[in-house]
Amino acid sequence: MKAPPATVKQRRPDASVAEAERQHQEQLEDELIMHLERDQFVEKTSRPVPRAALSARATAALWALRVFVVLVSLMVLYTFIDQLH
Amino acid sequence: MAAVEASTASGLALPPLSDEDAARSQDRSRVHDARHHRRRWRLLWLLVGPGILAMLGENDGPSMIAYASDGAQYGLGFFVPFIPLLFAMAYVCQEMCMRVGAVTHRGYGELVLQRLGRAWGWFGAGDLTLTNLVTLVAEFVAIRVGLAYFQLDAGVAVVLGLALVVFTLSGGRYWRWERIVLGMALFNGLFLLAAILVKPDVGAVARSFDFSPFPGGSFNTLLLLLASTIGATVTPWMIFFQQSASADKGMTPRDVNHGRWDTAAGAVLASIFGVGALIAGAALMSHHGSGIQGFAGAGFPEALKHVAGAAAGDAFAIGLIEAGAVAILTISASTAYAAGECIGVSHSFNSSPRNATLFYAANIGVALVAAAVILIPGAPLLSIALNANVLATVLLPVSLVLMVVLANDRGLMGAWANKRSTNVIGIAVIAFVGLCGAAYGIDSFLQTTHVIGS
Repeated sequence: MKAPPATVKQRRPDASVAEAERQHQEQLEDELIMHLERDQFVEKTSRPVPRAALSARATAALWALRVFVVLVSLMVLYTFIDQLH
Repeated sequence: MAAVEASTASGLALPPLSDEDAARSQDRSRVHDARHHRRRWRLLWLLVGPGILAMLGENDGPSMIAYASDGAQYGLGFFVPFIPLLFAMAYVCQEMCMRVGAVTHRGYGELVLQRLGRAWGWFGAGDLTLTNLVTLVAEFVAIRVGLAYFQLDAGVAVVLGLALVVFTLSGGRYWRWERIVLGMALFNGLFLLAAILVKPDVGAVARSFDFSPFPGGSFNTLLLLLASTIGATVTPWMIFFQQSASADKGMTPRDVNHGRWDTAAGAVLASIFGVGALIAGAALMSHHGSGIQGFAGAGFPEALKHVAGAAAGDAFAIGLIEAGAVAILTISASTAYAAGECIGVSHSFNSSPRNATLFYAANIGVALVAAAVILIPGAPLLSIALNANVLATVLLPVSLVLMVVLANDRGLMGAWANKRSTNVIGIAVIAFVGLCGAAYGIDSFLQTTHVIGS
């Protein structure tokens, strides 16, 4: 029987090792992926969620909250700065 | 669980696996194994963390000094049942954070920004950064008080705090960070030890659960007490932290029940240890305890040493160092989560510093700025520390309202949205916190501007 060329003889084990490593890597990745939910991937969570459609009442309530907090915060900061003196 | 099955069923391609996904998936594989083999205790061990850390993190240096100060000034009574009541309120808020994080896999900051608009998102982040910075200064002051008991100075407090932040960040894994901080947080139990060492009258402690005697003093003093005690129990950073940490941990809707146990355990432990600090402080009531400046010198630990022995003083001092240190780690983390979420860059302990540079820089940077403040000669540290809890209370209603809006968002939460009973309790909590904060803010302002007398 004719022996295969030396170059092929040397390459074949390397190729099979690389292939086995690739398959092992893929298997590991598959196992890892199995434990995450689809919407848990970074690629998914980095996509923004759409803006919520708030009712007019909710928008008005949030505006009232904004005004309330700004006013009270200013009062507390004024008091705090006054106490420092 | 569902990713591969879902992709097979629907024929859709899976997204690429990042290093952050790979790290999170390894943690999830252990949860999957524990659930599959019905190892209940191991499953609980794997899933606890964000809830206990949020609650014990809030039992921070200023809070424990505030509880001890309440005890020293008013003794047992109103505050013994009031502290557990506040932690029950905190549970209602934190359970929502955990649930939203587990269901959406997103942090609070990014959801507010994307779902409710940039103005609210940046307002929330600004509110958080301000209150966190002020609170972090107070944490370093609390560590300094604990170290002063052992004749160590502010420089040691700065080095210790910053070294801890860098050390816990060094692993590049959420799991490692969480377990180190969780291990440290259990030393919050030293306040319970301090309470036992002062040999309190157990009967008097039991009798105080009828909320009496009610603290006396002026209306403004009462409002300050309520506002600072509420600020010592529920704060904006806890909301940002627990939701983001739950998402970073990789929790899913299947883990929500365990998340509830985690949050409840945190609330129970924090209220027991908080009451411990109060009881230890109450031992000083008949020894001119009301005159102790909690944030000056060695404060309460030194006073306890003279009244109840060196062991009680040691336990309280080490407890203060621990409380400050744990809070520095959790509060820095909440700032880093908020910064990453609002700017829209990688924000996970599972990412490497190269991939999440802003997250790591914000984590160390905010602690660095706070540390620098306590080294400034003549800085008004006492005023900052005393006002930190009040400022947090005043700004808290915004964070809570937005949290309730998110938890009710069926587009995000689906079947996991708030039930009517949760909304009723949640709105009652917000109304109570908002009224106390606003009443104190308005009353103090009117007194400062001499519109009303003190």
